[in-house]
Amino acid sequence: MLTLQYNASTLVPVEVEGLTPTLVRNMSLPDIERFEIFNGNHKLPLAEFFTVTGDPSDARIQFEGELQGVHWIGAQMTEGEVQVRGNAGRHVGSEMTGGTIHVHGNAGDWVGGEMHGGLIHIHGNAGHLIGAAYRGSAKGMTDGTILIDGSAGNEVGHTLRRGLIAIGGSCGDFVGFSMLAGTVLLFGDSGIRPAAGMRRGTVAFLGDKPPALLGTFFRSGVSQPLFLSLYLQQLRQLGFEVPAGCWPANYRMFRGDHVALGRGELLIRETPAAG
Amino acid sequence: MYDPLHGVDGQVRDIWIRDGRIVDAPSDPAVRPDKVLDAAGLVVMPGGVDMHCHIAGPKVNAARKMRPEEKRKAEHIMRTSKTRSGTMGSTPSTFATGYKYAGMGYTTAFDAATPPLAARHVHEELEDTPCIDKGFFVLMGNNHYIMRSIQRKEPERLKTFIAWLLGAAKGYAPKLVNPGGVEVWKQLPSGNVHGLDENVEHYDVTPRQIIEATARGANELKLPHPVHIHANNLGMPGNWATTLETMKTLGDTRGHLTHIQFHSYGGGVGDQDTFNSKVVELAEYVNTHPNLTIDVGQVLFGKTTSMTGDGPLGYYLSNIYHTKWFSADVEMEAGCGIAPIEYRDKSLVHSLQWAIGLEWYLLVKDPWRVAMSTDHPNGGSFLAYPQIIQLLMDRTFREEAIKQVHPAVRERSTLAELTREYTLYEICIITRSGPAKILGLANKGHLGPGADADITIYMPNDDKRVMFEMPRFVIKDGRVIVEQGEIREVTTGKLLHVAPGYDTSIETDIAEWFEKYYSVRFRNYPVSDDYLHDHEIIGCG
Repeated sequence: MLTLQYNASTLVPVEVEGLTPTLVRNMSLPDIERFEIFNGNHKLPLAEFFTVTGDPSDARIQFEGELQGVHWIGAQMTEGEVQVRGNAGRHVGSEMTGGTIHVHGNAGDWVGGEMHGGLIHIHGNAGHLIGAAYRGSAKGMTDGTILIDGSAGNEVGHTLRRGLIAIGGSCGDFVGFSMLAGTVLLFGDSGIRPAAGMRRGTVAFLGDKPPALLGTFFRSGVSQPLFLSLYLQQLRQLGFEVPAGCWPANYRMFRGDHVALGRGELLIRETPAAG
Repeated sequence: MYDPLHGVDGQVRDIWIRDGRIVDAPSDPAVRPDKVLDAAGLVVMPGGVDMHCHIAGPKVNAARKMRPEEKRKAEHIMRTSKTRSGTMGSTPSTFATGYKYAGMGYTTAFDAATPPLAARHVHEELEDTPCIDKGFFVLMGNNHYIMRSIQRKEPERLKTFIAWLLGAAKGYAPKLVNPGGVEVWKQLPSGNVHGLDENVEHYDVTPRQIIEATARGANELKLPHPVHIHANNLGMPGNWATTLETMKTLGDTRGHLTHIQFHSYGGGVGDQDTFNSKVVELAEYVNTHPNLTIDVGQVLFGKTTSMTGDGPLGYYLSNIYHTKWFSADVEMEAGCGIAPIEYRDKSLVHSLQWAIGLEWYLLVKDPWRVAMSTDHPNGGSFLAYPQIIQLLMDRTFREEAIKQVHPAVRERSTLAELTREYTLYEICIITRSGPAKILGLANKGHLGPGADADITIYMPNDDKRVMFEMPRFVIKDGRVIVEQGEIREVTTGKLLHVAPGYDTSIETDIAEWFEKYYSVRFRNYPVSDDYLHDHEIIGCG
């Protein structure tokens, strides 16, 4: 495993875009040290910011330190593994197509922005726009899995097209905004206007406090959707803590958003848990 | 050297330059030049002239802003010691636009659709578009004052207003976009006109009257480029009849029909099964009417952004592509529609559009009356010009390209039967000498004494696309600004505009009109002289 110990104290953003497991696996440590990254609008060698040790040949990278000012960690990676021991900045796993990223701390905004495959697991909290479309894009995340153990900010799954996002804690406003398809599972509280403008897909609210829905979602019944149990089983296998009472349970179903295509579904766990 | 205006067709010549202009060779053999550029074995042409593109002003800026996803993934123009940073995509930023035009050997470009109310913005963006000379056409086809003048049968007032408006905006030529149709679009839900004799409510004028009256007035003013017409019914099956009527409406007055590819379609309205090319019929009319000139508006396959002063067209396209849509109403003057679009080579309609553009180049006999354009970015980027040149010069390449597109192109157009191949001399005409002449630019498009020393020097290559993509040298106003695709020096370039004389007594009436109806006070409307950077007034008459 290649270890990159962050030891800089700059307040100017550091961007490690392009530093993927695939790139480094055939590089020598001196070459990695010379790899140029951005500090603001200056390009500087990686070694100005990181102490480089270890062996990159197994396509595994471990970032260590207070990395909340380091952005684009694991962006566009296609394989391998990235571990972050500490907090990470924005755009973790942006546009990645494969491999896994574990952040053992908090992460900033845009985790898995326009992600196309692979797994991102944030073991702390995350910022806004998880798995979202970048401004102007027609589609957000198109495949893969994003797990946030803690809470997340606004617009989780903005224009999500496919894939799974699970939030262990609460999230901010507009979860599932303008969703095209895919699945968002929220185990904590939701902010206002959940799933506004969603066309298709599923947003499930598994927490104790039911969200206030927009008037453009219509109630369509109560069920125990079996597919949900499969998702929960998969989450447990991935090391994501699923609270007791989520299954078996009754879920109220709503259809919407009828200001858009209206083929999305919201599932709200009935409390107290049935069972 | 290729200088079609003077009949020079690939002969070896010297060019002498002094103070930014081409001059006669000194009669005294003892006179030596300060600097010599050896172009032996290379191909020397005047700098390219793009007579129809969309590169500045509010519509371009709106397109830039509405497509960040395209900008993000496109080539990034990095700052260098000589050049500014920029963005590409279908609507490059201002500085990038200038560098890319120059890098391709073009030294003059005209923005094709400026609402005069937004002229200041256009001037500011053109000043930030380096390396090339530039100008813009002023939207008039849906201007309320013009329609009122026609309604009241006041041709002299109309002519005077055209002169005043061009001078006030510091523009170059009158532009008609879907004359009357944009006004109806602004009046009614999904409104438009569908023929030249439909009525425009309130002013009770017809598109035919607008075309006829504006063309006549502009010709009487002896403007260098009297009228630039985006005809009605752009993009609609069966629109060739409207286009032919537009040509006939001009009679024997000078007129330029722009992006004519988009106006040459047969078939029934809304019926793709009958969509076909009508270039043969239209080109025959153009070939026999020397008062008419055209630019093509060639379609290239790929993603781009449609931007137009034709508001209803923007709405139509956004409904077809289900993409973003921007629409603007420029109060008393014009409209605007913008939508991201994509031309697919497997699409029957898009393949035919591509073929129809090429038919126009190949069926107009006199190359001086057909100018190369993609209607950048509507049909494709101006950066595709080398690709079009290859399609025109290399019949084998063209035949291979036809095999890649929808097979119905062979039945519904004549492209596959056309064997003509352009020569370098003819390419020189349709890319610089011809557009300069059509625009009435006496100092552009040729290499004779008095011409601006805007010169492009190419490395000969059998692959004409490669040859025209990266000139060996580009000289602007006598200075080498590009070498082998690299910017060596950045010049500002000058604004080209007209300042036709007019009876100033009309200003009382225009002022009253402004105070009644405009959101801008009359005295704040004209672009003052001190607002201009380097500029040159192109004379009328």
